[in-house]
Amino acid sequence: MYPRAFHYHRAGSLKEAVTMLSQLGEEGKLLAGGQSLIPLMKLRFANPKHLVDLNFVPGISYIKEDKGSLRFGALTRHAEVEYSATAAKIPIIHDCAAGIADVQVRNRGTIGGSIAEADPSGDWATVLSTLDTTIRCLGRKGERTIPLSKFITDAYTTALGPEEIVSEIIVKNPPKGSGGAYLAFKRSAPVYPTASAAVQLRMEGDVCEDAAIALGCVGLTAIKASQAESALRGQKISETTMNAAAEAARAAADPQPDMRGSAEYKRMLVGALVKRAIELAIRRARGEQVEVSHLYA
Amino acid sequence: MKDNNRNWVGKPLPRKEEGRLLRGRGKFADDIKIREMLYLRFVRSPYAHARILKVDTSRAEGLPGVVGTLTGKQIEPLTQPFIEIGPEPCAKIRDFPLAVDKVRYQGEPVAAVLAESPSLADDASELVQVEYEGLDPVVDAEQALKDESILHESAGTNKVWNGVFEYGDVEKAFREAAQIVNIDRLHFHRFSSTPLENNVVIGQWDPKDDHIYYWCNNSFPSFAIQFLAAHLNIPIDRIRVQTFDIGGSFGIKITSYPQMAVCALASKKAGGRPIKWVETRSEHMTASAHGNERTFRDTRVALDQDGVITAITSRHVDDCGAYPRYEPLGCVIWSQVFPGVYRFKNARIDFTQAMTNKCPVGPNRGYSRMQHLWFLERVVDICAHELGIPADQMRLRNYIRPEEFPYTTPNGCVYDSGDYPKMLAIAKNLIGWDEWKKKQAEARKQGRLIGIGIGTTLDSGTNNFGQSQIVNPHAPFSGNSQGANCKLDIYGEVVVAVGSCPQGQGHETTAAQVVADVLNISPDLISVRTGFDTERNVHTGFSGTYASQFAVSGLSAVHGAAQKLKAEMKRLAAFVLETQEDDIEFGRGAQGPELRAQTKGKSINYWGLANIVNVNSAVLPPEMHDITLNCRYIWRAPFKVPDTKKKYGNLTMTYASQLHIAIIEIDRDAFIPRILDYVAVDDCGTVINPAIVEGQVYGATAHGIGAALMETCVYDAVGNMLTSTFSDYTPITAMNMPKVKYGHIETPSPHSYSGAKGMGEGGAAPVHTISAALQDALFSSGIIIGDSFNNADTLFRAMVGREIYQADKLVKLERRA
Repeated sequence: MYPRAFHYHRAGSLKEAVTMLSQLGEEGKLLAGGQSLIPLMKLRFANPKHLVDLNFVPGISYIKEDKGSLRFGALTRHAEVEYSATAAKIPIIHDCAAGIADVQVRNRGTIGGSIAEADPSGDWATVLSTLDTTIRCLGRKGERTIPLSKFITDAYTTALGPEEIVSEIIVKNPPKGSGGAYLAFKRSAPVYPTASAAVQLRMEGDVCEDAAIALGCVGLTAIKASQAESALRGQKISETTMNAAAEAARAAADPQPDMRGSAEYKRMLVGALVKRAIELAIRRARGEQVEVSHLYA
Repeated sequence: MKDNNRNWVGKPLPRKEEGRLLRGRGKFADDIKIREMLYLRFVRSPYAHARILKVDTSRAEGLPGVVGTLTGKQIEPLTQPFIEIGPEPCAKIRDFPLAVDKVRYQGEPVAAVLAESPSLADDASELVQVEYEGLDPVVDAEQALKDESILHESAGTNKVWNGVFEYGDVEKAFREAAQIVNIDRLHFHRFSSTPLENNVVIGQWDPKDDHIYYWCNNSFPSFAIQFLAAHLNIPIDRIRVQTFDIGGSFGIKITSYPQMAVCALASKKAGGRPIKWVETRSEHMTASAHGNERTFRDTRVALDQDGVITAITSRHVDDCGAYPRYEPLGCVIWSQVFPGVYRFKNARIDFTQAMTNKCPVGPNRGYSRMQHLWFLERVVDICAHELGIPADQMRLRNYIRPEEFPYTTPNGCVYDSGDYPKMLAIAKNLIGWDEWKKKQAEARKQGRLIGIGIGTTLDSGTNNFGQSQIVNPHAPFSGNSQGANCKLDIYGEVVVAVGSCPQGQGHETTAAQVVADVLNISPDLISVRTGFDTERNVHTGFSGTYASQFAVSGLSAVHGAAQKLKAEMKRLAAFVLETQEDDIEFGRGAQGPELRAQTKGKSINYWGLANIVNVNSAVLPPEMHDITLNCRYIWRAPFKVPDTKKKYGNLTMTYASQLHIAIIEIDRDAFIPRILDYVAVDDCGTVINPAIVEGQVYGATAHGIGAALMETCVYDAVGNMLTSTFSDYTPITAMNMPKVKYGHIETPSPHSYSGAKGMGEGGAAPVHTISAALQDALFSSGIIIGDSFNNADTLFRAMVGREIYQADKLVKLERRA
C-alpha cells in the first residue's frame, strides 16, 4: 500500500532537525535510512504526520579513528561500515554490518537509525553492547553522551528525549589480545535473525582475561549474558568452559515463540551460536584472519 | 509429421525475450496507463469466519477523489454466482467476488473503493466500516469434515468431494504379502508460489460498445473468460483479454478471475472508466491462492519378501480453503501419476476434499500431483528404512522398467517413455554416491548426522480435461487443444501468434526455433507475438500457460500452422516460378529468404509471395484463391473421455521425469539442515532449447528447496494468517541455494510430434528429495519424516523434544512367516 499522507521536512543540519522536532512535537518522526520506518508506513502500521528527513544533513556520515576510538556518524550506512578498512579493525563490527539484511537495505539503513530504533531484533545493539560504546546525542539543551547500556532501556525505547537525536556512536578500540565474532541464524537474508550472539574476548595464551557476551532476538532488548561471561573470565578455554558459557547463555535468554521458531528452539540455538562465536573470537584474538558469515536456512 | 530438418530445434539459442526483459524494457500490466483510469482497493475481512452485519461506505464515499464503492450486496443481483466445477452439493455454493452475507477466510474482499489515485483508494479503504458477527472458524480439513461449523450453508457440508480410486486386487495382495508397513499419518503442507509480479488487472466495461476489456496478467485467460461471461451475463465474444510480459505465475495467477469480475463491475458503475487493481504483496500472500494441503491417513503397504511393493491403501484428505474455485479438479489431477514411477498394480485410495476457513487454493506448480508423488516417495523411503533395504535398491526393485514403456498404469494412464534406472545411475555418478556413503559412515562415527536422499518424480503435461468428468460426470470438458497462427505479412515478414501467455518460459524463442526449422530460415527473421489476446483468434478453450505443456500443445500448434504456411508458400511459388511443387526449395538468397525452382534457376523471395496474395491478387488464378499465407491451426490432443465409473483412462499425454539426490547434514547444536551437495537429473524427452530447459530445472529446484525448508503458509487456530509478509514467509533467495549439479537424459516421447515432453513444474522433486535425505540422517535415531515442510525448529522438536516424527508411534511393520 501507499503510506498515509504526511508532511515532509528536510533538515539542513542536526540542529535544525532538533528544532523541527521540538516544533512538531509527537507528530514528528525522523527519517534516516528508512530501513524500518518506510516498510511500516507502507503497511500503515506507522502513520506519522510529519517526517524530518536527515538524509541531506552534511557531515553526519563518517567513520573516523580518534584517540583509541572509532567514531561513526549517525547517518553512516551499514554498507559504508561493511566496506570500511577502518571499521574492519574491530572485526565484530564488520561481521555485523556485512550481515544486515541484503545489499539494498545495507545501502540505505544507518547505524544511528538502528540504535535509535532499539528494535529487539536489531543487530547493532547486540554487537555494540560487547564493546565499550557510548552514544552521543544532540538536543535543545545541547549535547550529552550516554553509555549504550543506559541508552536502550526497553524494546523500542531509549533514553533519548522527545527532541533529541543520535549524532554519533563512539566505540573504544578493544585492548590488545582481543577478538570477537558475531553470528546470527537467519531464515533468509532480508529477515531479522532467529537468534544471534556477539562474543568479544581478551585472551592471554589459552586463558580468557575478559569476556563480553550479548544475545540478540531472544528478549526485549539485547541481553548481556553476564553468567556466560563469568564462565569464561579467568578460565582456560576448553570444551567444558565453552559448554558452560553456552548453557549460561541459554539460561539468560528469554525468547518468545513466533514464525522464526519456538521459544525452546531459540533458547537451544542461542547457546549454539554463543559456542561457535567463542571459537571464532579466540581464533581472532590469536591474530588469525577469519571470515565470518551468518548461518542461513 | 516428423521434421528431419533440425538446424535450430535442440540448440541452446539465447532467448529472444532476453534483451527486453533483462534491460528493464519488459511491458507488464502495471506499466499500462489509460486515460481516465481509476484505482481500486479492496476492503478485506480481518476475520476467518464471520457474518457481515453491515457495510457502511458513506465515509469512504465522502473523501474527495473517491468516485465510488462496491459491495457484495450490490453485485449479487447483477451477477450469477461463479460456475462450480464440482457436483452437488458443492454445486450449490454461491461464490461471488465480494462477500455477500459471510466472510470465509481472512483477507476475503468485502467491498471495493474506486479513487482517482492509488493512495486515495488506500485511504478510502480504511474508512469503510464493516460490522461482523464472529463465527467458529475451522482451519483443519479433518476437523472441517465433521461439519460442526459449516462454511457454505447452501451446500450444507464442508465436504467438496469424495471418491474411491481402486484398481487391481487389493485384498489378495495383502493376503499374500510377506510384510506390511502401516503409516499412521503423513502431511503435505500448504505453500504457494511467490511470483515477482503480483496480480494486476485493468478492467473496463465500455458503455460505447458494451464490451469488457482486460489488460491483465491472468495466466489462463480462456478459462477466466468462461467463468466471467457466465458470471457477468455477457456473451463471451464481448470480453477481450490481453496479457503482456508476466513476471511469473506458477499457476497461482489462474484464479484471478474474481478480481477481474470486480474490476469490470466497478468500471460499469463508474460509467465505463477503466479500473486498475494492483495487488500488494500482503494481499497476494493472504488472499490470492495457495497450494493444496493434504493429509494421508491409515496408509497400508503390502510388500513381497524382496521389498517389492504389491499394494497400497490409503485415505487422503485435501484442504481447498474457503471456496473450491478451480477445485475439485485437484481431486482427480493427482491420479495422472497414480502409481508415481512405480510398478505396483493394486491400490485403493479414498480421496476426500474439504473446505476450511483459509485462502482458497489454486493450481500451484506441481499442482495436485506433487502431493501424491511426495506421499509415494515417503512410502518408499519409510518401507526401505523399516525393511533395511538401501533407498537406491528399493527404488530399482520398484521402478517401472525402461523396456515397459509405453506403460499403462493401473488407472489407464499411458506413460510415454522414461528410464528411471538410468537417471538414478547418472545422478549417483554426478554426486559421487559411493564416496558420500563412505563419508556418511565416517561422519556417523564422529556423531555427525548426514543424510542421502533420492527423489524420483513425474511432471505430467498436456492433460486430458476429460478427467473433470471423473469428479463431475456432467462437466462439459474433455480433451485438450491449442491454437496458433503463422503468416507472411505484406512485406514478407514471418509472424507467429500462439494462444499461450508465457511468464518467462521463453515461448517467443522456442516457437521461433520450430518455425525456423520448418521454413529453413533463421529464428531472427521470425516475430513471435508475445502475450495473449482473445482478438488474435488463436486461442481455444484450453489456451493459456499452465500445466507443463507448451512444448507439446503450444509447439504442436505452431508447427502445424507453420506446415500449413509452408505448403501454401510452396504451391504459390510453384505457380509463379512455373514448376512443380517438389521442385521448390526453401533457402536463402541475396535478398533474404526465398523459394527456388531448382530446375529453372529462378526464385521468389518472401516479399514477392506476400505481395501477390495481399496486394497484387489479380495475377492469381481462381484455383489459387484459397491461399491466404495466413494460416491458423488448431492442434488437438488425441484423448478419449475416461470411463468415469471405473475412473479409468489416459489423463495426460507426456510424462517428463526428474531424479534428484540431496546430501544434507543436520548439526547437533543448532539443528540447521544444510545441503552439502545436490544433483538434479531431468528427462523431458527431446529438448527444444537446452538453455531454457536447464533454466527451468534450476527454477523448479529453487522453488522446491524453498518449499521443503523455508516456505509454509501458517494459520493460527482462529484462522489468522501468520505468514502474510516475506519477513514471515521467507521465500527462498539465491543466498539459500546450494550449487546444483545438472544432468539430463532424453527419452523421446512417442506421443508428441517432436518427441518433446512438457516440463517446467518439475514435480516438486526437491520436496521429496529433502524429506528423504532428512529421514536418512535421522532414521537411526527413531525418526521418520512425516511432513513435507521441515526447518531447524521442526528437527529440534523431533530430535530433542521427541514431540513429532517418532517412528515407533507412526509406523508399524508386520512381518509374515
